Amino acid sequence: MQPQLKSKVRCTDREIGEVTKVIVDPLSHEISHIVVSMNGTGERQVSMALVQTVTDDAVQLRNASSEVAALPPFKRDEYLSTHDVEIAHLEDNLHVTPGEVLVPFPELEKNVKRRTFFMNFTHVIGFLIGLPIAFPVLRYLMKPMFAPFDNGWLKIGNVSKIKTDDIGFQFKYKKKVKEAYLPEAEIEKNVWILKATPAVLEKVYQGKDMEFRDASGKSVWTNKKDIPYVAFSGKCPHLGCGYKWRQHKVLGQVFLCPCHLSIYDASGKVLDGPAPRPLDALPIKVSASGDVQIIDMEFKAGTKSQIRII
Amino acid sequence: MSDERDSLSPTKIGLGVLWPAFWTALPIKLAFALVFLAMDMMHFEGRLGLGFLMFLASPVTVFATPIITMGLESHIGEGAGIALLFLLCIPIDIWALGVVGRTYFLEKFRKEPPDGLGVTLWWKCAVVGAVFLPLLWFIVGTVTSMSISMAHSVFEMELFKGIPVAERISAELSLWGGVSVTVLIVLLLIGVSLIGRMIRSTSETARPVADSYQHVVTRWDLMRVPDDQGLMLTALTLGGVVLSMLFWAGLPVTTPHPHECCKKPEVKAEPPFKPLEALNKDEKLIAQLEGQIDALEKQKAEAEKDKDKGKGKKAASAPEAPAPKKP
Amino acid sequence: MEHSTPSSQPTVIEKVIAFVDERVGLKQMQAKMLNEPVPGGSRWAYVFGSVLLFIFIMQAVTGILLMFYYVPTADHAYASTQYIIHDVDYGWFLLSYHFWGSTAMVVCVFAHMSQVFLWGAYKPPREMIWLVGLALFGIVMGFGFTGYLLPWDQRAYWATTVGVEIMDKTPIVGDFMARFLKGGPTPGQMTLSRFFVIHVMILPAALMGLAGLHLFLFRAAGPAGPFRGTAEEIKAKTDFFFPRQIWKDIVGMAVVFASICALAFWEPVVLLEEATPDPGDYHPEPEWYFLFLFQLLRLKIFAGEFGQFLGAIALPGAFMALLAALPFIDRDPERNIFKRPVALIGWIVVMVSILLFTMSAIINREFLD
Repeated sequence: MQPQLKSKVRCTDREIGEVTKVIVDPLSHEISHIVVSMNGTGERQVSMALVQTVTDDAVQLRNASSEVAALPPFKRDEYLSTHDVEIAHLEDNLHVTPGEVLVPFPELEKNVKRRTFFMNFTHVIGFLIGLPIAFPVLRYLMKPMFAPFDNGWLKIGNVSKIKTDDIGFQFKYKKKVKEAYLPEAEIEKNVWILKATPAVLEKVYQGKDMEFRDASGKSVWTNKKDIPYVAFSGKCPHLGCGYKWRQHKVLGQVFLCPCHLSIYDASGKVLDGPAPRPLDALPIKVSASGDVQIIDMEFKAGTKSQIRII
Repeated sequence: MSDERDSLSPTKIGLGVLWPAFWTALPIKLAFALVFLAMDMMHFEGRLGLGFLMFLASPVTVFATPIITMGLESHIGEGAGIALLFLLCIPIDIWALGVVGRTYFLEKFRKEPPDGLGVTLWWKCAVVGAVFLPLLWFIVGTVTSMSISMAHSVFEMELFKGIPVAERISAELSLWGGVSVTVLIVLLLIGVSLIGRMIRSTSETARPVADSYQHVVTRWDLMRVPDDQGLMLTALTLGGVVLSMLFWAGLPVTTPHPHECCKKPEVKAEPPFKPLEALNKDEKLIAQLEGQIDALEKQKAEAEKDKDKGKGKKAASAPEAPAPKKP
Repeated sequence: MEHSTPSSQPTVIEKVIAFVDERVGLKQMQAKMLNEPVPGGSRWAYVFGSVLLFIFIMQAVTGILLMFYYVPTADHAYASTQYIIHDVDYGWFLLSYHFWGSTAMVVCVFAHMSQVFLWGAYKPPREMIWLVGLALFGIVMGFGFTGYLLPWDQRAYWATTVGVEIMDKTPIVGDFMARFLKGGPTPGQMTLSRFFVIHVMILPAALMGLAGLHLFLFRAAGPAGPFRGTAEEIKAKTDFFFPRQIWKDIVGMAVVFASICALAFWEPVVLLEEATPDPGDYHPEPEWYFLFLFQLLRLKIFAGEFGQFLGAIALPGAFMALLAALPFIDRDPERNIFKRPVALIGWIVVMVSILLFTMSAIINREFLD
């Protein structure tokens, strides 16, 4: 039980006054002292150690009134009221005021059903304001995320450049790109093409024609397995770096990616390194006069399965 | 309190019921209007403000608008959605007039609102509106056009010839605007007062309510809380979801209005400029053209020689070298 | 507000709330925020402040979405805005919403200021709320002015040119201010960059800070309530801010939201040709809420250098100064507008004048060719 303000203070011999103030320790949040009015002769600060019992309306001290009167006088300016200081949770466990100060509910607010109804009604209206714009906003933000593929054929050169079988030849080409509102630009890309011998061709196609389909499953192009020219996308399937055709000490003539040292043989099969899948083959068309055309595609890097992204 | 009741003029009554009823009904009407606009079922073009007012005041305009549209050849807009919206306004307005009417009866008249007050108020408002509004439309329209031409002729007078354009516009506007607005306000007040009279006569037969002011206020306040909250709110949410989905389905993906004035210019992609290539190409072209000019000059010189030799001096106009074609 | 279920076990949500409440005093804070008695009861007339906050949030949201595609460079501002209108899904709708939202904001600012004025809620002890409110009004006008330039079409470019030239007329600081805003002697890329950062960073920060102050001051003073009614009437109708006034606020927000959407359908944003230094056939004009001032400056009394200063700077400046001084010169505690004839007539005169000059500006268009 905490001493209540305005309760009487009794010493062993007589009543000496009332509790006018209560002092709280700012660190421990415990009541450390009471201030006693001393019936107008000058307030005294009394430590809680001197308190014997506390009841609703009285505080009983252990000492005689003369001992209490001998205590030094209470100095108000050494203290702050709890309104003037910010100490977290200081007043949470303080119950020194007998009674409460109350304010009546306005008449209209007494009905709980009314309050819940308007609260729920407000939530419904808020939801119905947000809902109509959710769908347009999502579509708005997603517009450029899944652009349709460009399946146009690009002329990239002539096979007369390829003098030897099973050797990779790099073909550089330019692709026109129009991004949103920017004027049309050209980017430089490359592919590796080789003229494959039947053995290597077999490793690439594994007995099946290579089908290229769009998102709806419709066939875009089929690379026939008997056409000896194979075009590999210039981007390494590991993380998209540009790779080269090199002479390897042990493995011979190979495709070698300098970034993380993925090594592929002439058929694109992974010989060594972190590549998750073989080199990506592209649709290829070779005309009678030897002009090569490809469809420029790009595939997601780092995945085992081939997922087209451009 | 009884003094206040006696001092309720018909105009105050009319305004006190119509104004809250209009705005109470508006949010629901707006939701439907928005869906109709998204689904391209109505167009307002230049008369949006008028269309808004017609729908806002739909208890009085619901029959007046078709009369004005057909009789006086004044369209507020196009589309089946307009008629449909007016149709939907009927139950909405009956509900709104009921809520507002009952509130007004309780608080201002201190009388027990009769059953079916909403319907009674609605059809009476609609009838008064159907008779009064076309009249108001005609009178205000005539007064406005008359005062515009009068204002024009005032400022055509010799006295005012020297007044510059901006001042003249504002002065004329004040003149005919003042006249027009005054006539409009007076007529509107008369109309509102008619409605107020009608409402007052409806209240004559109602029983008085003996409760205290607080009791009366609490009563009409709690009247707004439905008996089955869950049902009402669920129905509202579902209705809102359905309207939202109609909205999404109808919303045009790309702008629905390329006005004739400002069609998007056809942006042709500029071919990328390659300076070296351009230089080389130009050099080649220049060399080629120089060759052409040399050849032509040679030709010309030989032709001259032949003429001089062969046929003597003839004033033959030399064929002019064709100008090099621009790239 | 939470009623625990009859069964003894608290739900997860109730546990989380109790957890936070122990540490932060959540329940008491919420109660203090929501249980504010509104003398005379919640009123539809009071919704405009909250509606303005809603409009600002919607402008911020649509503005942020627009920034996903718009670029503030002189070579791509126009193209990127056209891209939004013609190519991005529903881009036209979000841009038109943003455009009409700014109109709605100005209309609601006028409504809110009028409501506060007519209810006398600027009088002591609410002077500071009024002053902060006037600053917020200036910020809203600033938003409209800076945002207008961003599409970089003829209308935007020339309205801005004329507007900044008007500001140049301010004595002493005018030239500096104009050059600061233009980022040079004439409008160009620098202007666009500056207007963009002002519109997108500086003004939003200022608005949020001042709006917070405005709300704090309002709560410190308490709502003024109706200007007439006996004590009994006012007490009978009094209710708390939550839920009724909040509900009225959100219905107001829904109506404004639907209205802006409807306007977007009626008149979607259409750009003129891209900005060029030659105005050609186009007659420069500011946004509609500046038209009255624009028309005023056409009057002969405001012709010439001094006249332009008078009409563009002195008169509006004096009017704003009058508004700012209002709580300090009008100390009569009477708040009933029907018993304040000077205030009522003054308000009507100002509103009618603005309407008159705005309409005159529209009529004047036909006389420009």
